[in-house]
Amino acid sequence: MSTTPTLSASELSVSFGPREALTAVSFELSAGTFAGVLGPNGAGKTTLLRALLGTLDHRGSVRLAGRPAYVPQAGAIDTAFPVDALGVVLMGRYPRLGWRRRPGSEDRRRALEILEQVGLSAQGRMSFGALSGGQRQRVLVGRALAQEGDVILLDEPLTGVDGPSAAVLLDVFEAQRRAGRTVVMTTHDLAQAARVCDRLLLLNRTLVADGRTDQVFRPEVLRRAYSGELLLIDGQTALLDDAHHHDHDHGS
Amino acid sequence: MLEALDAPYLQRALLAGLALSVPLGLLGCWIVLRELAFFAHAVGVATFPGVVIGIALPGVGPFVGALIAALGFSAAVSASETDHRLRGGTVTGLALAVALALGAVLLTASGAGAAPVERLLFGSLLAISSGDVLRCLAGAAVTVVALGLLRARLAATTFDAGWAGPAGARERPTAAILLVLVSLVVVCALPAVGSLLVSALLVVPAATARLMVARVGPMLVWSIVLCAAETVAGVALAQSLDLPPGAATALVAGLVFALVAGGQAVAKRIPRPVAT
Repeated sequence: MSTTPTLSASELSVSFGPREALTAVSFELSAGTFAGVLGPNGAGKTTLLRALLGTLDHRGSVRLAGRPAYVPQAGAIDTAFPVDALGVVLMGRYPRLGWRRRPGSEDRRRALEILEQVGLSAQGRMSFGALSGGQRQRVLVGRALAQEGDVILLDEPLTGVDGPSAAVLLDVFEAQRRAGRTVVMTTHDLAQAARVCDRLLLLNRTLVADGRTDQVFRPEVLRRAYSGELLLIDGQTALLDDAHHHDHDHGS
Repeated sequence: MLEALDAPYLQRALLAGLALSVPLGLLGCWIVLRELAFFAHAVGVATFPGVVIGIALPGVGPFVGALIAALGFSAAVSASETDHRLRGGTVTGLALAVALALGAVLLTASGAGAAPVERLLFGSLLAISSGDVLRCLAGAAVTVVALGLLRARLAATTFDAGWAGPAGARERPTAAILLVLVSLVVVCALPAVGSLLVSALLVVPAATARLMVARVGPMLVWSIVLCAAETVAGVALAQSLDLPPGAATALVAGLVFALVAGGQAVAKRIPRPVAT
């Protein structure tokens, strides 16, 4: 696998008015990496993804080699919009369409392939709003796959998703990583990140730690990011603070 | 009735009505899907001061005056609604009140009288000129081409602006183009249906179509078909019963919506047979 970075940030900082949301974040990710971005609420995970996509003003530099694909958090989507699952996946072809922005038969064929990949070939003509939460998330990941990006940025793609859908999505992410794409996923689930990611970025408004699971999942490192916060570990919460912290050694 | 079709005024009315049905039906879908019904109503009414100024100033005319007022209104609303403290149509309502007050003041000051105002408010499809018909056809052509090119972008931004921006379909320019098109078509439609009733044809056929289908493509088609059919029915009703054609068309549209919505509500209450 190539070691040339496909995604890098150098001294990346983002401010919202007087509030510094991210300060001097630097890292490099090479092709074929599945990176998990961890951190408590308000740590700057979504801000980092948006800065990497170039949709937020920032200081420092970002380098994204090739095309990005993106799965935002599901909250802002209009589920009443009259579109079926196939139509949502076809939206993902938008950046690749010509000036008339009309998807052709090749785009349609690719969208149908992707629906099969996310296990929804039978639901292609179903209204997006009529799908279950997990199915919707699979469709939204399908839309990102249709972008055929070299770097795939996923903002909490597994939050609130049922077990079978999460399993399908994790398989899809792993397949993308094996195909040489750089996958970056924000998550609150440390154990899940430890299982599926080969690189972890621990954030709390700055980069607290960056490395493999055994380098990041150390009590003193986690405490710096999560002190006094609730952690979600394998779907269960545990309190980590100075008095009653639970150390979870997920070293591999 | 069919003999009446020989009358040039009726031919102009039907040609303008059918031509307007296409942009009104298409734009109406995006207005309904983007929850802009109040804006669509307001932009028609907000042309009031522009019309008064256009009539008062030789060389400007009511069409240009109305277009400038509508575009100014759209720009002001668009720029101000970025302030998250004033969401939910607050700025639209405020600008609407200011435009109405300004129009009333200008009307008094100009001494133009009530006749042009009545025509502005209610229109008269049966009294429109050949120039009005040409403006309707031109507005329809511009809107069809623009919306054809914008369709994928509008779908992406309306469905999920958070994804669409990074994918290259930014929301703000898309919304701005849509508001310009709404302003243009509303002004073209003023002589036919008036500022108070234009929103009926912008919103009601599209809202009815939304109840009937579950995808954007068929919704666009149904919206145009309903708008055209309701316009023809409204003109026929106006001819037969000597009613104002704009009001008759709006009432027909409202009745069709009520029938579809009511029919669906009744259908939901009827228990379906259980398969054994």
